Amino acid sequence: MSKDILLSARDIRKSYYVGTPNELEILHGIDLDIRKGEFVSIVGQSGSGKSTLMNILGILDRQTSGKYVLDGVDISKAPNKALSSLRNKHIGFVFQTYNLIARTDAIANVEMPMLYAGVPEKKRRQRAIELLEMVGMGERMHHTPDELSGGQKQRVAIARAMANNPDIILADEPTGALDSKTGRLVMDIFHELHEKQGKTIVLITHSNELAAETPRIITISDGNIISEKINDGKGVA
Amino acid sequence: MIKENCKLAIISIKANKMRAFLTMLGIIIGVCAVIAIMTVGNSMTADVKKQLEGYGVQNITIYINPIDYNAELSEADNENMQFKPETLHKLSEKFGKRIAGVSVEASAGSGSVIVDGKKANVDVLGTSAGYYKANKIKILNGNNFTEFDYEQGKNTAIISDKFVEQLYGKEFKPENLLGKELEINIDDNYLNVTVVGVYEYKMEGGMKGSNKNITTTVYVPLKSAWNLTHSQEIYEATVVAADGENASVLAEEVKNYLSELLANNLGDRFTVEAYSNQSMIEENTKTMNQMTMAISMIAAIALIVGGIGVMNIMTVSITERTREIGTRKALGAPDGMIMLQFISEAIIICLIGGIIGIALGLILGNVAVHFMGYAPHVSFASIYMSVGFSMAIGVFFGYSPAKHAANMNPIDALRYE
Repeated sequence: MSKDILLSARDIRKSYYVGTPNELEILHGIDLDIRKGEFVSIVGQSGSGKSTLMNILGILDRQTSGKYVLDGVDISKAPNKALSSLRNKHIGFVFQTYNLIARTDAIANVEMPMLYAGVPEKKRRQRAIELLEMVGMGERMHHTPDELSGGQKQRVAIARAMANNPDIILADEPTGALDSKTGRLVMDIFHELHEKQGKTIVLITHSNELAAETPRIITISDGNIISEKINDGKGVA
Repeated sequence: MIKENCKLAIISIKANKMRAFLTMLGIIIGVCAVIAIMTVGNSMTADVKKQLEGYGVQNITIYINPIDYNAELSEADNENMQFKPETLHKLSEKFGKRIAGVSVEASAGSGSVIVDGKKANVDVLGTSAGYYKANKIKILNGNNFTEFDYEQGKNTAIISDKFVEQLYGKEFKPENLLGKELEINIDDNYLNVTVVGVYEYKMEGGMKGSNKNITTTVYVPLKSAWNLTHSQEIYEATVVAADGENASVLAEEVKNYLSELLANNLGDRFTVEAYSNQSMIEENTKTMNQMTMAISMIAAIALIVGGIGVMNIMTVSITERTREIGTRKALGAPDGMIMLQFISEAIIICLIGGIIGIALGLILGNVAVHFMGYAPHVSFASIYMSVGFSMAIGVFFGYSPAKHAANMNPIDALRYE
């Protein structure tokens, strides 16, 4: 069983103002395993600590204590310098606010993670075109972010997250800034990636409705996991 | 990687053209000032050098100086500061073939010659035989003075082609004047001389004026000038080192020889000075270069101020793009790449500014040189220096903001509003 575990977090705690009288613990010991090929949602109200958890899982931030192993690498022991390369190879981010690089066209945005991975220019371009076509943005590869709608931007962002074929895609409220119709489109892409390509996807959201679409739902509140459900597709609202 | 960074930098500069230009302005003005000053300085140095070389690199000027400049000089002292003809004669004998000649000159005053209502102003200068070698005078027609002319102080004269043109016009052949008498009016005294030769007039460097107002020199034998002025003072002489002789070395030897020879007269109050033109050229070039450098340093302050402008803009640019930096970090950009990106941007701004500055500086410098009447002399060293310097400014002033960007915590950068 341990063999197909992609991500393993044990007793993850995160505190701010450590060592001062104002010390504030946001995460109170999270235990979490995610297997390869899972589509998991982490649901919680704002302030529940779900974003903090995502930042730690995405190696954008370090936990105060606890052990986090990603694809066999103990992140807590990795030096700071290695973190950027770990993010680059293992993780694909999709943000609520898209975070595309301004004044840079879609294709260059998708190429960026490959640029940092040292992929040669021709290969980079080829893969970026494939990915953009996959998310239905083949027609708008040379548009800059301000020439794209929110849904289009998010599709470019998903293509970018896929660039280095990461082990896991972390999507933080990916439909939060979209209307329901385009939000649906984005969710469909995630489902497709999960079902057809077997991608491991972690969806962070405050919406129970969205979470209900995923096979596994983890609910987080006040820095603790309060429930975990396997959603077999029956009886979902 | 470098190519990618340059592309990114150019995109960012294009996005803020006005701001980038204002930033460049500091660099442009600084580089422009440095290049213009260096061009003017170099042209002046080259011009002065050329002039001094025109007087002969082999020339050694000798004279006697009091050791204490403030000392009061008596009549007898005045005598001690003069060279006697015998002394110069001995000098010639001592150094033999190593000396091509000894030049002594004495002014016989200024005057004018009037022929058929046309007037030409002249300086009358008594010269020794070595004068023509020392001053590179070229005889066009006729001959130089003979030994006899020198010994007897004959009233013979060598005039310039320009002088002939002034009096007789361009068409007139100067050789027709050989053997003819000229009447020179010097302070209402008339000096009658027989023309024996015509020399080629050389325009003084940098001087431009109408032909009519030029005062040319009429050469007479030294003794003739002495006879006219009733004095025989030689305070200064020029020793011409023979070709192949090192003038600086010979100057030292001449100085030592004369110091020994004149020991009695010099005592401990006077000293013989012997300067070769060579060393004067070197010293002059050195001084001019130092001056140019000093002024350039002041101009370089403008460059540093410009550099601070670059730093300022980079800091603003990085603050504005904090979220972009956060995103790049989330996508796996190593710190080094982020730093390289912003340093490249600073370098490109400075480099573009530097190139515009060089172009403007060259134009400005050459226009200035043109109006000052020198031949333009571009300093390529200053161009290389400016390019290098502006790039260095980019690195230096870009480093700190770039380092700041690279060290940002990705999560803080992503959350930045």
